[in-house]
Amino acid sequence: MDVITSVNLKKYYGSARGLEDATLSVREGEIYGFVGPNGSGKTTFIRILAGLIHASAGTVSVFGMTPGPDSAAINKDIGYMPGESFYYPELKVGSVLSFFARERGCGTERMDELAQALDLDLDKRIDALSFGNRKKVGIVAAMLHQPRLLVLDEPTTGLDPLVQRIFLDLMRAEQRRGTTVFLSSHNLTEVEKVCDRVALVKEGKILLVTTIMDLVKQKHKRLIVAPALDLSLSGLSKNGGNEHETYYEYRGETVPLLTLLAASGLSDVVIRDATLEEIFIGHYERGNGQ
Amino acid sequence: MKLIDGTLLGMELRRSYKGVLIWSVAIALSLLLVIAIYPLVIDMYQAIPPEFYDLMNAFGGIPDTIVEYYATEGAMMLQLFGALFAALQGFGAINRDEREKTAESLYSLPLSRMTFFATKLLRVTIEVVFLCVFTALFSYFGFLIVDEPIDYEPFLVFSALNTVVFLVFAWLCFAMAALMKPNQKPMAAIAIPFVLYVVYTIAMMTENETLDLLKYVTPFTFADPVEILKADFRLEWISLTVFLGLTLAGTIAGWKAFARREFTI
Repeated sequence: MDVITSVNLKKYYGSARGLEDATLSVREGEIYGFVGPNGSGKTTFIRILAGLIHASAGTVSVFGMTPGPDSAAINKDIGYMPGESFYYPELKVGSVLSFFARERGCGTERMDELAQALDLDLDKRIDALSFGNRKKVGIVAAMLHQPRLLVLDEPTTGLDPLVQRIFLDLMRAEQRRGTTVFLSSHNLTEVEKVCDRVALVKEGKILLVTTIMDLVKQKHKRLIVAPALDLSLSGLSKNGGNEHETYYEYRGETVPLLTLLAASGLSDVVIRDATLEEIFIGHYERGNGQ
Repeated sequence: MKLIDGTLLGMELRRSYKGVLIWSVAIALSLLLVIAIYPLVIDMYQAIPPEFYDLMNAFGGIPDTIVEYYATEGAMMLQLFGALFAALQGFGAINRDEREKTAESLYSLPLSRMTFFATKLLRVTIEVVFLCVFTALFSYFGFLIVDEPIDYEPFLVFSALNTVVFLVFAWLCFAMAALMKPNQKPMAAIAIPFVLYVVYTIAMMTENETLDLLKYVTPFTFADPVEILKADFRLEWISLTVFLGLTLAGTIAGWKAFARREFTI
């Protein structure tokens, strides 16, 4: 069953493009990554899901209902975390989260549990918190009521690596419970670690929807060869360089590559796996999902 | 669908109670002070040379009773500052969440837009009524302190109509915030009661028939303290009806805009 479905979703703010064309579906129980550069339309899409803004064209549904200004029925099953976590600045963290818990009709046990896991001080005032700690408040507020769907806008931005790891563990635990997670991110390492599927978005359009497994299969070797040499081998392609060195991508068996390099008279070589980020950038540069 | 959400109302009141108390105490103490010095003011008037006294008296500048004194010195101050307070509270009920960027978290809660709208409007109403009751009680204490014979009926009528004036400002500015783009400065709300108070003052001071019609463009007219407390009272039905109608229309327009409002901050 699809929890989120959008078809040709478009959003313009006056003449400014927010989202150009977003078609995707998120299955129940999966962790879905929404990846793209700044201004690509990730936050716009997420705000439409949360009923904070409405689409200019296209259709979107969450749990089979259309989100909008009066989507209280949808929102009760969603845990939403905005990209910028702003809460009542003059109040203590515990008071703000208790308010959210009461509005969600749940107790504060989960709040205490999550605050402890994330090392969040409930007695501090919101305006005394660092950006990262305000993010933690956002995470707790979204997860308080154990919703069926978590919609998280760049949840780990500003979190230190230790807390990022705890957050990813929490996401996996939520998934085991049956929760669907839709998160936007710049952090490709976290996407690779927790997401089942990922959509790449650029300039408001979805370039590619794929599984992480398929992306990993696209992994290849990257070579830096010095001095600059013209090498030729099936699966080897040049992708840059300068007067001192040449850059290559290689897809193929290792032995033929090493044989070629040994016979080529090079003075230095670096061989490494391409990162997920480089694969994504390749897609962005090509500007399509091919 | 519930119209009023008690949890949200509690949080809204909790967030604004300090401001409400500061305004209420400041205005109430000012009123109390104005009334408490009435015996000194009377002595001061009696020390004025007779030719000036007669001249001032001819233009109604010498109050005959403490209620008349209260109408010209205390109530008019209450109206100006109370209207500014009401406008700020009304405008801030929607605007503050957007300025402080808390709107995104708040409006993703499982409450309908109608619940948000009605609950916030109720909060504003409670705060305005609180200020009115609080300041009226302090005025009453002031009258007790100076120990002058007083007819409390006109005072109660004035207090009730004055509360309606403040509610008109609060609701209109609430609707204004819903109709305007996000992140507007609260100064926009202050301008309305301030300008209408000046218009009201001009309309009250003039004998010119054309300028006198200005009284129908300001809600202060139907709660004119001088008319209610000083002379034989006759309710300005036209003014009252016009402004209640305008408030109702403004609130409906505000609701329609709020129901479709987008929160992008």
